[in-house]
Amino acid sequence: MSKQTFTPNKIISYFKTEWVVLLIVTVSGLIYNLGLLAGPWFEGRMTGCLIDILNGRKTFYNMLILVGCYVLSIAVVQVSRYIKRFYVRRFANNVNRRMKGILYASLVEKSRPELKEQGMGDIMTKAILDVDDCVEGMRKFTTEIFDTGIALAAYAGMLLYYDWRLALLSMLFPPVSYLLAEKMKTIVQRTGVVYKEQSGALSSATLDRAENAITYRVFGCEQQRKQAYEENLTAYEKAAVSANIWNTMMPPLYKVISMTGVLFILYFGAANVLGTGWKVWTAAIFTTFLSCFTKLSVKSSNAAKLFNAVHKAQVSWKRIKPLMNPVIENEKPEIRTVSQLSVQELTFAYPDGENIFENISLAAKPGDIIGVTGAVACGKSTFGKAFLGEYPYQGSITVDGKELGSLDRRQHAGIIGYLGHAPELFNDTIENNILMGENKNVSDYLKLVCFNEEVQAMPDKENTMVGNGGVRLSGGQAQRLALARTLCHKRPVLILDDPFSALDKDTEKQIFANLKKYMADGIVIIISHRLYLFPQMNQVIWLENGQAVTGTHEKLMQEIPEYAQLYHAQEGGSIYEQ
Amino acid sequence: MNSDCGNIIRQTVKKNVLLAVGIVIAVCGAVVISLLPPLVLAKMIDAMTQKQNVGFTFVALYFGLTALTGVMEASREGFLTVFGQKITHALRSSLMEKFTRLTADSLNKQEPGALVSRFVGDVDTVENLFTSGIISMFADACRVISILAVIWFQNKGLALVLFILLPFLFWFTRYVQKNMLAAQVENRRAVSRASGHVPETLHNIRTIHNLSKENYMEKRYDEYIQQSYHAMEKTNFYDAVYSPVILILNAVVVAVVMLLSASGSPKVLTLFGMSAGTAVAVMNYISQIFTPLESLGMEIQTIQSAIAGVQRINEFFALPEPAPKQHENTADSKPVQNNGKSFVEFRDVTFGYDEHTVLKHLSFQVEEGEQITLSGRTGAGKSTVFKLLLGLYEPSEGSVWIDGREAAAIDRKDRRFLFGYVEQSFHRVAGTVKDQITLYDEKISMENVKEAAELTGLHDTIMHLPDGYDTICTPELFSQGQWQLLSIARAAAARPKLLLLDEITANLDAETEKEVLEALKRVSENRTVISISHRVSAKMGRIIPIEQKL
Repeated sequence: MSKQTFTPNKIISYFKTEWVVLLIVTVSGLIYNLGLLAGPWFEGRMTGCLIDILNGRKTFYNMLILVGCYVLSIAVVQVSRYIKRFYVRRFANNVNRRMKGILYASLVEKSRPELKEQGMGDIMTKAILDVDDCVEGMRKFTTEIFDTGIALAAYAGMLLYYDWRLALLSMLFPPVSYLLAEKMKTIVQRTGVVYKEQSGALSSATLDRAENAITYRVFGCEQQRKQAYEENLTAYEKAAVSANIWNTMMPPLYKVISMTGVLFILYFGAANVLGTGWKVWTAAIFTTFLSCFTKLSVKSSNAAKLFNAVHKAQVSWKRIKPLMNPVIENEKPEIRTVSQLSVQELTFAYPDGENIFENISLAAKPGDIIGVTGAVACGKSTFGKAFLGEYPYQGSITVDGKELGSLDRRQHAGIIGYLGHAPELFNDTIENNILMGENKNVSDYLKLVCFNEEVQAMPDKENTMVGNGGVRLSGGQAQRLALARTLCHKRPVLILDDPFSALDKDTEKQIFANLKKYMADGIVIIISHRLYLFPQMNQVIWLENGQAVTGTHEKLMQEIPEYAQLYHAQEGGSIYEQ
Repeated sequence: MNSDCGNIIRQTVKKNVLLAVGIVIAVCGAVVISLLPPLVLAKMIDAMTQKQNVGFTFVALYFGLTALTGVMEASREGFLTVFGQKITHALRSSLMEKFTRLTADSLNKQEPGALVSRFVGDVDTVENLFTSGIISMFADACRVISILAVIWFQNKGLALVLFILLPFLFWFTRYVQKNMLAAQVENRRAVSRASGHVPETLHNIRTIHNLSKENYMEKRYDEYIQQSYHAMEKTNFYDAVYSPVILILNAVVVAVVMLLSASGSPKVLTLFGMSAGTAVAVMNYISQIFTPLESLGMEIQTIQSAIAGVQRINEFFALPEPAPKQHENTADSKPVQNNGKSFVEFRDVTFGYDEHTVLKHLSFQVEEGEQITLSGRTGAGKSTVFKLLLGLYEPSEGSVWIDGREAAAIDRKDRRFLFGYVEQSFHRVAGTVKDQITLYDEKISMENVKEAAELTGLHDTIMHLPDGYDTICTPELFSQGQWQLLSIARAAAARPKLLLLDEITANLDAETEKEVLEALKRVSENRTVISISHRVSAKMGRIIPIEQKL
């Protein structure tokens, strides 16, 4: 592998890495396209042979050998064609996969704010779509360079060999038709744009008419709208006809122009056969020459395709190129044990906003579970997100004396585990959603979150597909699945934002007990608006209007009336439930 | 009345007889003329082998015929393009005509997205059916048959060989095409899975980063892409294998014919004997017969997929229309004497949707200039009263009168000037602010528009927009309250005598509601107003209870 020399933003690199496939394409392409000459050549020879047999100069056996060779050579040529086509596509697929891989690798490295707020996500998505166009162009280029380039050269060579004067004379015309096609292209493009506009206008007019049907009827505007729609239709018809008519009418005419050379071939060729021309020909050569020329003029109409394909590929490549950065190999996160977490005077604001909360302080050691709560929109979710390192914060968060903000992403990801509101599930199986490539026993984690029995009852068990974003699961199932995933990727500090909101109380208590045991050597911060587990927490943070009060459950019950009120209301509610 | 796709195509043909004749000439002409050049060539070669001079006439004839084929083909394509567009135009016109005639009930049942795909997508498939389905199929079938016929006269043996071979070949073509279609469907599914991975990544990026799953996600993506190639490779296989098989077969047929005509056995020669010129012509024909065969397969596919579109269109055409009912005043909408002294009157009205009766023997009157509120529980039929007033439905018993005319018989053009209707939410139409108010009605002048906007207090807001009344409307242009004001302006623009207000403040907060109600007060002056409202704040005037009688 030429891994060192591979530069993703040079198109030649992609050709270089695929050299084996391209070699097969080249060999089979040459055999196929040069072999195409075999057809006309043999056809001429067979006609000649038939004449000789009719005149008694040759026998059936001459014909038998000739015919055998003919079929054999056609078979070889066609088999090479098959090989060539197959490998050209393989080449395109490999390049496509490689390009998309590179783009995706740099996409997945981008931070969330970059992707969502700075629009990089959209740009990258479009670039990935552009890859298809670009590679399609590369494929056509590779195909046409053989099918058009080499084939044309071969046919031209053969014509020149038989009679160069006649060849030059007859080959004057295919370029004329090509030039004409080029000239027509501007018209085709111009009318195409108009057509596209009109078809957009028609669609939106139809949609408007459909969506507001009752409104138009009630206000008695239907007849007028019908007439307006009729005008739309007329404009569309005009645009469609003028856009399509060039595309459909011109090709047969181009063919006629290319074929004009036939006039000379018939006239001077016949002279050659009769011995009064530039060369001395047999009838067989005449047939070959004519048939070669016919194929050449058909092929030459493809020359335009070659240029179009290259042009299109260039346009999309230009858009992709700046995004093609070399892939950085990711290292595994360093997962370490943590003996102390300390938060001091933490203040947080989004880049363009006011402070969400101010001056929160907290100290925790392994085995601690900390509850965070407060009224709706008090900033408790944002408190959790401050640990993610997506935005800078003021104050300090230190883990064993190291500032969280100064760690690189690998180190950071090795310490902090986070589960947000949204379960962020993947359209994959339950097992893959939890393990995500880890080699662990999935049922351990399903049991931890009390989800195992339900999964075992599903027809496909762990291999059940959860659907796009987990749509096939209930809210509670999705939540537990996401929690199982977080627990499977155990980190010394876990931040769980409302992990039980869709669960019933018994399940919640059971999972909490499991979690406490499982995280005995780590620190857990649970953000929740449900308080009945809070007596079991080592510490509680109460947030209100950006201000925090930290203490034990008992302390807060005494000092913060709102906290006590909320707690009692929920306890009372739960008695009522029972 | 009984329009369907077939009828419309027939009518289009009738309207464009010349064009239709042109197509027939071009199609048949192209088929017949394209048969001739090889025959001319055969003559020339035979002449050459006998060392005779080939006259220039032959040369010119050969080229002339080739060129004429090209011209015929070009005009066929051109005519078809024009004709296809005429058909789509006619189809869409009739669909719209039908849409305008639908009952309010079926109008409500139409899903706008589905309707657009019927008007746009399905009609296009009908055009395809016509231009690249039936007609080209006919042309290709003619080509195959005529080539066979010519070969029959040139070389009977070959014709027999082809007769036996062609059905098999056609079967092979269809087999490959069917498999290819199946593989393409599978491929598309795999491709959509792979392309779905990118938005999913964007959505779940926090989890990916937090769990350090960048590598895993890259690997997954690669797997998905590979799966899609796997599916694609199948398509590639069929695509790459078809032409070689056909061309090898082509070579074998040529070989067999050559061999047999060189056999020297008199028995074989009665079937296969031919001159050198004929041999060249025959080789030419053999390669010509395979192309239309391949196209025939594709055309069958086009037709199959188009038939579904035709069926959907015909279903639309079969939707029910209101039965033309004789009204006492259909002929002209002049008020009929003695029919209600009140401005609005419900006379013993009974009405229901399908089996379910909503209103039973309902009667009430509203005098001109009066402002009343309909009250009643949800589902009691208040909105139904409006629908009857608006003439969207007709009562099954009794009658509904507005200004001395029966509601359902009021000419659609006149309605706007008789009553304005304001709904719970605004229905934005495509176009400018002015278009929202006029609904493209040319009878509503710019003065009317401004007056209505001023009444609702929107005029200043509109004048502050970049292009004033000509600003193109987008959903963000106005707040919800302002949209509702615009809705009132729309109703008031034609200066109607009657205003119908259906829960117009239901979606608004208290502050905005106040603003809207104030505007409404200005608009209601000197007008008859009938409103539905659950909110106490929005009730006005006399209250008419609507109860569901069981």
